Amino acid sequence: MIRIQTAGLVLAMGAALTSQMAEARPVSYPSGWTVMQMNNGDMSSLHVHYSPTFKDSIGLYSERNWANDWHFTGLQYNRLVQRWNTPNSQANLYFKAGAGQADPFGDGADVDLAGFVGVAADWETRRWFVSYEGRAYDLGFTQDARQAARVGVAPYIGDYGDLHTWLMLQVENQPEADTPTTVTPLVRFFYDVQLLEIGYTPETEELMLNWIVRF
Amino acid sequence: MKLMSIAALAATFAFAAPNALAEDTAASETAMSAQTMVTAKVNGMVCDFCARAVTKVFGKEAAVENVHVDLDNGEIHVTLKTGAELSDDRVAELVKKSGYDLVSIGRETA
Repeated sequence: MIRIQTAGLVLAMGAALTSQMAEARPVSYPSGWTVMQMNNGDMSSLHVHYSPTFKDSIGLYSERNWANDWHFTGLQYNRLVQRWNTPNSQANLYFKAGAGQADPFGDGADVDLAGFVGVAADWETRRWFVSYEGRAYDLGFTQDARQAARVGVAPYIGDYGDLHTWLMLQVENQPEADTPTTVTPLVRFFYDVQLLEIGYTPETEELMLNWIVRF
Repeated sequence: MKLMSIAALAATFAFAAPNALAEDTAASETAMSAQTMVTAKVNGMVCDFCARAVTKVFGKEAAVENVHVDLDNGEIHVTLKTGAELSDDRVAELVKKSGYDLVSIGRETA
């Protein structure tokens, strides 16, 4: 148990920096692997998952929450509940669930069974992007929750294989945090199989840095 | 006279048979060397990641030589290997497996 927790912590700490809410699309193509690293100052996380179909993915999720001082490590399952395809847009509704262990101070001394559930939704054209994600945790020793919404616009329309750039604005709400509601402007770069997001939250003076790679 | 008719008929067959054979061979070679491009128009393909999913899924098919995605027109252009075939049903299945909705299928043979 401690070994698993230590490995999770190492992975989470090794994760450069990125925000939870960037993983609005948690399912890849059939047989695809995805690595998501996130940090926004309040938390660092790592999610590595495999998609057997375009509707499902399962993998490891580890999160070190610096704001509320806990660490979760476990398995996460993601399900594409519904997709709406039109000639110029795509919309998705996802369900997420995780089960594993958590400890209140991230030191492995007092481990509890823990889990979470979440929903995510997005709508995207080649020019506009809107997403929402909400997640609730039961960590045994405490409960936690957060939600976030984003709007984005692409300043130019790139072809397949080009560098794609998005300008986004994220509003995040974490009731238990010192600053419950924050607004984060960010830039998303998407090239080949890599996605990089860089943002800054003025209220908390924290940097957001997210990185996703699919293969 | 009868003997001459038989000889003429034999000569006709003798010359015609190789020609017919040559025509059959040429047609067969054309079919074998023909390369088909399948164009699938789909809904929902709006981003690079969508396109990547399509190229991964179609690229695993033995009959497929190359996949090109046209995001502007929502089209998947699949070039088949010489002489290979990919049925409409299979194309529809692959589009669905990629996560998108098929609108129409077109074919061109070069």
